[in-house]
Amino acid sequence: MSATTISPYRSPQRAENDSFLRLVRAEWTKFRTLRGWVLAVVIAVVLTDVFGLLVVHPHSPCGSGCHLLVPTGPGGEAVNDSFYFVRRPLAGNGSITVRVTALTGKVSASGGGFFGPGQPQNGLSPGVVPWAKAGIIITQSTRQGSAYAAMMVTGGNGVRMQYDYTSDVPGLAGLVSAASPRWLRLVRSGNTITGYDSPDGSHWTEVGVARLAGLSGTVQAGLFAASPLKFTPNFITYSESGGSVSGSLATGVFDHVALAGSGAGGWTGQNIGASGAGYTGPQIGYRQAGGRFTVTGSGDIGPVVSGAANSSYDTVTIGDHLLGVFLGLVILVVIGAMFITVEYRRGLISTTLTASPKRGRMLAAKAVVIGLVTFAAGAAAAALAVIVGIYVSRSGGVYVLPVGWPTEARVILGTAAMLAVTSVLALSIGTILRRSVVTVATVVVGLVLPYILGASGVLPVGAAEWMLRVTPAAAFAIEQSVPQYHQVIGQYGPPDYFPLAPWAGFAVLCAYAVVGLGLAAYLLRRRDA
Amino acid sequence: MEATIEVTGLRKRFGATLALDGMSFTVQPGQVTGFVGPNGAGKTTTMRVILGLDAPDAGRALIDGRPYPKLQRPLSRIGALLDAAALQPGRTGRNHLLWLAHSQGLSGRRVDEVLEQAGLASAARRKAGGYSLGMRQRLGIAAAMLGDPPVLILDEPFNGMDPEGIVWMRGFLRSLAAEGRAVLVSSHLMSELQDTADHLVVAGRGKVIADATVADLIAAASGDRVLLRTSGRTEAMTVLAHAGATVAATGRDTLTISGLPAERVVALLSEAGVPFSEVSAHRASLEEAYMELTRDAVEFRARPAEEAAQ
Amino acid sequence: MSQTVTLARCRPRRRSWPAWTALADALHAEWTKLRTVPGTGWILAALCVLTIGVGAGTDSATRCATGVGCTLDTTRVSLTGILAGQAVVAVLAVLVISGEYSTGMITATFTAMPRRPVVLAAKAIVLTALVLAASVVAVAGSLLAGRLLLATNGLTAAHGFAVVSLARGPTVRAAAGSVLYMALIGLLSLGVATIVRDSAAATGAVLAVLYVAPIAALFLGSNPVWQRRVERYSPVNAGLTIEDTTGLRHLPIGPWGGLAVLAIWAAAALVAAGLQLRLRDA
Repeated sequence: MSATTISPYRSPQRAENDSFLRLVRAEWTKFRTLRGWVLAVVIAVVLTDVFGLLVVHPHSPCGSGCHLLVPTGPGGEAVNDSFYFVRRPLAGNGSITVRVTALTGKVSASGGGFFGPGQPQNGLSPGVVPWAKAGIIITQSTRQGSAYAAMMVTGGNGVRMQYDYTSDVPGLAGLVSAASPRWLRLVRSGNTITGYDSPDGSHWTEVGVARLAGLSGTVQAGLFAASPLKFTPNFITYSESGGSVSGSLATGVFDHVALAGSGAGGWTGQNIGASGAGYTGPQIGYRQAGGRFTVTGSGDIGPVVSGAANSSYDTVTIGDHLLGVFLGLVILVVIGAMFITVEYRRGLISTTLTASPKRGRMLAAKAVVIGLVTFAAGAAAAALAVIVGIYVSRSGGVYVLPVGWPTEARVILGTAAMLAVTSVLALSIGTILRRSVVTVATVVVGLVLPYILGASGVLPVGAAEWMLRVTPAAAFAIEQSVPQYHQVIGQYGPPDYFPLAPWAGFAVLCAYAVVGLGLAAYLLRRRDA
Repeated sequence: MEATIEVTGLRKRFGATLALDGMSFTVQPGQVTGFVGPNGAGKTTTMRVILGLDAPDAGRALIDGRPYPKLQRPLSRIGALLDAAALQPGRTGRNHLLWLAHSQGLSGRRVDEVLEQAGLASAARRKAGGYSLGMRQRLGIAAAMLGDPPVLILDEPFNGMDPEGIVWMRGFLRSLAAEGRAVLVSSHLMSELQDTADHLVVAGRGKVIADATVADLIAAASGDRVLLRTSGRTEAMTVLAHAGATVAATGRDTLTISGLPAERVVALLSEAGVPFSEVSAHRASLEEAYMELTRDAVEFRARPAEEAAQ
Repeated sequence: MSQTVTLARCRPRRRSWPAWTALADALHAEWTKLRTVPGTGWILAALCVLTIGVGAGTDSATRCATGVGCTLDTTRVSLTGILAGQAVVAVLAVLVISGEYSTGMITATFTAMPRRPVVLAAKAIVLTALVLAASVVAVAGSLLAGRLLLATNGLTAAHGFAVVSLARGPTVRAAAGSVLYMALIGLLSLGVATIVRDSAAATGAVLAVLYVAPIAALFLGSNPVWQRRVERYSPVNAGLTIEDTTGLRHLPIGPWGGLAVLAIWAAAALVAAGLQLRLRDA
């Protein structure tokens, strides 16, 4: 045979440049043509939603079908607005000045539970809670949720200026007493209210300026006292929950009361929000003797936070409806891991790498495909869980803490992004370990165990917060929908609160995924297939 | 030179095992090159190195003068069948080819073409998990043909094929070579390649033992021996040995003679009146040539029966 | 004729083997199998290291301000690592069965030992033996770490905390119970994995069973009815009550009762697995 007569074969097909999209398309074809995987994604979505509905339990105090009326503040957030108010109308501009000489309080016996309306006040012992408040307030009306600004002394946090429920500005530090009284002043000019404090009534310091949208015409100005529920966090074991909550009262003693500006009538005492968290026993009220006012109140003026610590309302957050995400996450981790480990098990990786010898790009294409698939599935599942969950909760009489649509969108899309990054992490670990069982176990335990340790109260607060800062479980912070307030004592823990801000927690998971993906790409290039 | 594989001085060690020990050869276009050798000779490792799957400790493997990972759309330069069982059982045969096609920017139409070419069109939409070994080999061939490449490397393509399949595979390989493609086919069974390969690369213990055309190899292994069939075996042995030949009895009535041409054997036997029914120049089979070559290179050898009996 | 003779000679001596012989052979085979797989030793070592490590980490982080209603169960804190170690037990259980399906070795196993439930029983026994042995080490190490580390954090008898000691009845119960807990988790995982077959999916299923219920209990604060159901009847929440040594009156289910709940789950999973082994093709 003479080889010279044979000319080398030339393919009639045209050449085309390498493109990453081609690899993505190939991996997408690979994914969608395996019915088991597609089915598993659908199952993940369904289970996420079905399991999430377990959280909803219609058990409102007024029976199913009624709606709990929780006041909302000017910013749309749910608020506690119950306090004892000694007021006079103030038409137009003006100011109010007082001297506070004492703040005392009483707390029901530890673990004594709420003392709600009508409950006997047995077991009251002296004691003032850190955020017991007494001071002066200018508010639009006596309706709960009205715009307001207030200057106050507190049980353990010095003088504060607070306005519109969520804002809190510190003033003079230290406790109030007859020996070291506190002078407080609020000045109204249109819809702007400026707060001042002074230790002696002659040297005044501006504490803060509140611009209250919608403050107009005649407003109510006067003295107030409030004392929130006392929360004692416990070490809680796995199957127990909580800490103890007990009711409290605060009594403020005022003199040198001066109201400047035009207004009609004398002082009127009123227990605002008596039907809410406030206490309506015989000690509530005010006494006036000469220029001296003694005002006793219960309740709080501030935002409602999730959990029983802060209000008697039975509330859930929109993120509470995402319980099922844990189940969906396990399934998506399995798929993410299998997307590469199955290729190793079957030897298919050789074919894949023969078709796309640039290994880093192959891994990137896989990550894009699995990430997009899980993002889409996660977004669908989370949107359904949140929207249907809110509807079912509300129609069952459970109060869902209201949030704006940007927050709702962030919770839904953030959850989807968390699932997507988690599946990419699973893909990376799968590339590194090449074994599906160990990969799935590593990723699931790495995400879920720190969450349990951080959330269940097994660890003390410091260690638990550390867990939720540095482990991949930090990512669940993306499900937070209502903010924490330093001026409200609450049970700030998962599933509603995390030590990191939503996107910061998500970034922690991303960091793990980036490191994992980098290591996977390095090993993929370095090792024989 | 275009459309070739060049393998130069490959070395590769897996732990204590030296898999490749200076493997070097080239594959020419328009030929079927058989890549043979006993199990463990390094055939599969060499192919994996060619495809960039395993990195050699030393040496290099080039396709068209370039290392595999540098190829654009590699499957249109070189098609490969390594392990036909490397499939996900849940995916249909067609879909397996479809993702491969997409990775090369090819369409589903090309997939149907190669399925037809490999004779797998009727089973294309069944799950690959239910394929027989022979069907998987055909699917592997279809995958290798997907990019219509000028170079093909096939690792043990005859494995698990029924006789009809083997005949088809031989014809298919011949037609690929006739189109001017370079085809490298590995096998540990010489008989499979006897009528298929033009050129042989014989490997043993990680290196090339022989690299020659099939015709040369057979000629070398045949020597100048003469085969004799006779009823007077003892007489013939005496006569021929006296004439200076080396005679070996190979059967009840057959002898192999070396050192004398066939005409001389006929003359001597006629002269001595020894009856014989057949005299022929011995032509070694490819199998024998191969056994001769790899005798020392076999890694796992069965002990011969008589030795075992002792 | 000669053929008949040959056949007669080859007929097995015993027409059918008694089940215990089959089980003994299966046990031997499974033990050899598990012993000769390279990963087993590492997995058992990981079980001990992870359990003791997470427990010791928790011990050294735990502090308790005296007074304010700190109801800390020192034994339970020491045994926190069980939460991590159970994942390793699950992995081992999955590998025992799914490993065979993924490699196709299950065919060889069922060809050699056609009584499939007997094979499952043998696997269960061998797995239980290994998990029990490793868990004894893990639990003992955890309690020792608790005894040493908690004391350095001021959780001493002088401050009203029970020192971790096997002289205390409830602690002995918690220790023995935790070892049993691990074995039961292994059996539950084996059952689930036998039903699921695919190794990755089985791992996911088992870990979902182990970890999603405890998280659900955290989420269900707003749904006390379901919260109580999860705490009483989910395998992990109920089973882990065996670790509690204080405040037993407030537990949603008693320690032994909780372990019994887990045992029922494990038994149900194994029975379901045995049934489906008989009914489905290998």
